[in-house]
Amino acid sequence: MAAVTFNNISKRYKDGPKAVDDLNLEIADGEFMVLVGPSGCGKSTALRMIAGLEEISDGELRIGERVVNEVPPGDRDIAMVFQNYALYPHMTVRQNIGFALEVAKVRKDEINRRVEDAAEMLGLTEYLDRLPKALSGGQRQRVAMGRAIVRSPQVFLMDEPLSNLDAKLRVQMRSDIIQLQARLGTTMVYVTHDQVEAMTMGHRVAVMRKGVLQQVAPPQELYLRPANLFVAAFIGSPAMNLITADVTIEGDDVFVSFGGHRLRISAKALDRYPGLRERNGTKVIFGLRPEHFAMEEDLEVGDDQVLTVRCDLAEAMGAEVHIHAVVDVPPPAVDGAPIAAEDDPEALVAGTKVIARVDGIHTIAMGQDVRLAVKTHLTHFFDPASGAPLR
Amino acid sequence: MSVRRKGPKATAIRVATYVLLVCVAVVVVFPFAVAVTTAFKRNTDIFTYPPSLVPKKEATIPAADVGLEGDPVPVYSFPDRDDRPGQWALVDGDASLAEFRPLDDLERVIVLDVKAGEKTGETISIDGEEEDVYLVDDGGAQVEAYRSRLTSGGLFVSVDDPSTSVLDLVNFATPAREFGPRFSNFTEVLAEKDPETNGKGVGRSLTNTVLVTILVVLGQIITSILGGYAFARVQFKGRSTIFLMYLGSVMIPFVVLIIPLFQLMLQVNWRDNLVALIIPFAFTAYGTFLMRQFFLGIPAEIEEAALLDGASRSTILWKVMVPLARPAIATLATFGFLYAWNSFFWPLVIINSGNPDNAVLSLTLSTLGGRSSTDTNLVFAGTVLAMTPPILVFLFAQRYFVENSASSGLK
Ligand SMILES: Nc1ncnc2c1ncn2[C@@H]1O[C@H](COP(=O)(O)OP(=O)(O)OP(=O)(O)O)[C@@H](O)[C@H]1O
Ligand SMILES: [Mg+2]
Repeated sequence: MAAVTFNNISKRYKDGPKAVDDLNLEIADGEFMVLVGPSGCGKSTALRMIAGLEEISDGELRIGERVVNEVPPGDRDIAMVFQNYALYPHMTVRQNIGFALEVAKVRKDEINRRVEDAAEMLGLTEYLDRLPKALSGGQRQRVAMGRAIVRSPQVFLMDEPLSNLDAKLRVQMRSDIIQLQARLGTTMVYVTHDQVEAMTMGHRVAVMRKGVLQQVAPPQELYLRPANLFVAAFIGSPAMNLITADVTIEGDDVFVSFGGHRLRISAKALDRYPGLRERNGTKVIFGLRPEHFAMEEDLEVGDDQVLTVRCDLAEAMGAEVHIHAVVDVPPPAVDGAPIAAEDDPEALVAGTKVIARVDGIHTIAMGQDVRLAVKTHLTHFFDPASGAPLR
Repeated sequence: MSVRRKGPKATAIRVATYVLLVCVAVVVVFPFAVAVTTAFKRNTDIFTYPPSLVPKKEATIPAADVGLEGDPVPVYSFPDRDDRPGQWALVDGDASLAEFRPLDDLERVIVLDVKAGEKTGETISIDGEEEDVYLVDDGGAQVEAYRSRLTSGGLFVSVDDPSTSVLDLVNFATPAREFGPRFSNFTEVLAEKDPETNGKGVGRSLTNTVLVTILVVLGQIITSILGGYAFARVQFKGRSTIFLMYLGSVMIPFVVLIIPLFQLMLQVNWRDNLVALIIPFAFTAYGTFLMRQFFLGIPAEIEEAALLDGASRSTILWKVMVPLARPAIATLATFGFLYAWNSFFWPLVIINSGNPDNAVLSLTLSTLGGRSSTDTNLVFAGTVLAMTPPILVFLFAQRYFVENSASSGLK
């Protein structure tokens, strides 16, 4: 087992911008690190550089103490699980799992023992003599895992290993992988674009955007203290509501106003975002997670902390209701982040879309005016130009 | 199976389709069937009338069956006195016979043993000659007849009932024929060239052809795999230029190359040498292209996985890529085999026609058909020998043509 260290790593493909730009990241020995980001942000490229499948244009990559920039993939002592599993179609499960050992000229009985141990661990024992084409998707996925663990490598690399499975199996495999990694204690670098996987699986999550690392933090911190507007917008589902708002300070009270609405911000938020105090009379980006709303009757707040909006769409999810509404202010541009406006071009014109998540006991009709209490003490504030948090 | 249309109209269409297909199949298969059956016929059996697809021989029965010793006895087939068809074994081909003609019907001939009949003492004048009148046995009845001729003929014994025998003229009887393939056609045509034994020397050519074909196919497979892999996956300078040139060479017809190639073979002293049939054909641009396309179709991840498993380039090629490329290799091998096995013109040019030691099958067969076309059965035996291996190869390889297992390891 070993740590993986990126020192100013860059990757430039022949014709194009940098796929990975000056990446500094330390993945500790035994850590489960998740790389997440929108499509094309360079997650796979970073992973493939660890594997040695892509050349490193610039910088220094270490696995353990060893600089591996020039070390061929086979000598890096790492194992990778590909999105499409990349099993050898002409080999049985046993041969697939044992191939690396066979190449390494391990003794036959030793190979058999280790293959059978790995198969046992993954529940593949009865399929050992089948060909991959006679396996289900989930079983193939396990074979790919088996191929990785049988070698007891220094580092596991996984590139969206669950994206080809159906939802139920994905949940199952997710916990299996977490447990497996915990048991083996092997360093893991896991690429995904799935919010849930990112939040639930990793010890830490690295968020990337256009090849640039945005934030590395434990999942909860990422959620609660996003390092910038992009991370705030990217992490969480439904995404954080980001609204361009004017700040006014009257005495000790700070108010934000947008599209005819005005909210008093609790002092607790000001403790977390002291920078807001210096923004009197300027525009900021005001961030509200959907769960920071509640129906007025569920939450006791002052009148100046209630937002009245017209419900455009109410999605009853059982435990909760998602209320979609629009506030009359142009949406902020968050480059590359999947904000609500992105999949709904009309919203760009009409105003900023807001999603509120309220308790499921409420029945809300479309077109109805709803009064939403806002937990202003939990809100976030960012600089509209740089996207930096106003801490 | 997919869903089929139903209803009387669909059935009629299907029946018509099958009838048509069967007709076409019969037309196509017939010449082939003629060639195969002729290869098993006796030469005398080929142009008989009515023609038959079944090879036949003259029937015999063991001598012991008719109470004799020695060689098997030939069987003839003709009707008995009561006009019932029967099979008769010729037990004595040189019996003395007498022909009698009954006085009441001088056109009829009764063939009997020379000692048969009793003189009545009377005489009769036939065409101005005095003849004795005999009392002879004519199927049980005694009739008056005169002896028109003494001759020799055959003593036949009924195959079904050896106690019945009959005397008749051998040349009037038709020999019975029965199923009898002649396997020695093949041994004769294979035997070393020799007018005494009727050997045609095809065996030597067959060996040469097998040798040449195996080496050409092996050469093509190995060079195509290596070249195809390099063109598909190895980065090197000028790769696409070289590949385009390689591919362009497919466009040059072989006839254009014959004279330069012949010159080249003279330079390296390979004229009239089997090497000249092997080395120039152990490389194929088409096969390289085929393998390259196939390798390109194998997902890069499979190779990357092998790379991460610590496999070297050659391990990846031989243990991962080549097993996956079996369908392409089978296709390549089949085409290479057919090409090498059937090639005629180049051997004709480069191998001396008088040298049976270096001749290949296609050459020998062409001379066999030309010079000794009296031995039609042997020509066909040679033909059958020549076409059997390609058919077997095709049957063996065809299951690979459709199969492509390369993608089944994914997803
Ligand atoms: N072989 C290549 N040649 C040129 N550009 C490439 C190559 N591979 C990737 N890129 C570019 O590099 C950037 C990062 O790609 P990468 O595959 O790492 O994205 P990703 O984060 O894994 O995205 P996804 O979630 O879609 O898999 C993309 O803009 C992509 O177009
Ligand atoms: Mg990717």
